[in-house]
Amino acid sequence: MKLDKYLDRSLWVFHLNTGSCNGCDIEIVALLTPRYDVERFGIKLVGSPKHADILLVTGPVNRKMLPRLKLIYEQTPDPKAVIVVGTCGTSGGVFYDSYNIVGPVDKHIPVDVYVPGCPIRPEAIINGVLKAWLKLERLRGSSGAEIEKKIEEVSA
Amino acid sequence: MNIGLLETGSGYWNAIIWVLVTIIVGIGVLWLRNKGEGSYKKDTNQTKPFLSGNPEVSKEDSHVGASHIYWGFTEALKNYYEPLIKLHTGDINDYSGWIVLVMAIIFIIVGVS
Repeated sequence: MKLDKYLDRSLWVFHLNTGSCNGCDIEIVALLTPRYDVERFGIKLVGSPKHADILLVTGPVNRKMLPRLKLIYEQTPDPKAVIVVGTCGTSGGVFYDSYNIVGPVDKHIPVDVYVPGCPIRPEAIINGVLKAWLKLERLRGSSGAEIEKKIEEVSA
Repeated sequence: MNIGLLETGSGYWNAIIWVLVTIIVGIGVLWLRNKGEGSYKKDTNQTKPFLSGNPEVSKEDSHVGASHIYWGFTEALKNYYEPLIKLHTGDINDYSGWIVLVMAIIFIIVGVS
């Protein structure tokens, strides 16, 4: 999703709730508040998976959301990374073995980063996005040295 | 150099300049298009519209008829429209019957007065 290697842009994230209790979703919203303000890194929530580099999934995946989860995953352009946020998406959490749950998420789509917690702290989500960014850099062909250089640039 | 410049009191016009501008803009458009994302997977869901994760329905099912925009209007005047719709059966015998009935009433009124 870029015009040119010299016109690259930051990571854009699409958030999908597959039946979460909204605890994790509130923490994701907290990321956008002045306290955490992830937009200063260019990380932005977008309204369509077609604009996204990262799929941020919350919730344990209930039956109704399963086909939507699969479709949205397919509609996200490559290269992409999937982050599962919260204990429910990671393992089912308190909904484990429920009659209406068909998750966890990695049973149906490939997951790159797990951020467990009930709910997770916003700092943990930022760390998860950083991990996903490293994976995307590898997919785009960057070498280990180049990635380390970029991390230094971000940390500076 | 004469390149067919047409001068008027308020400016000038020249076909060759128009052709040159069109070519330059066209090259720019093609360059920009060439820089677009070419790695998407053809014939997959990546080319389908995003409808909040819902599957795309057929064109017939997603068609919004012109009458739909009057929904609120007809709903508000339901008591007026429903008897009218019932009268419009589409059967010519019914319409002929209405004409005969109304004419009979008019003749009676005219005859009595």
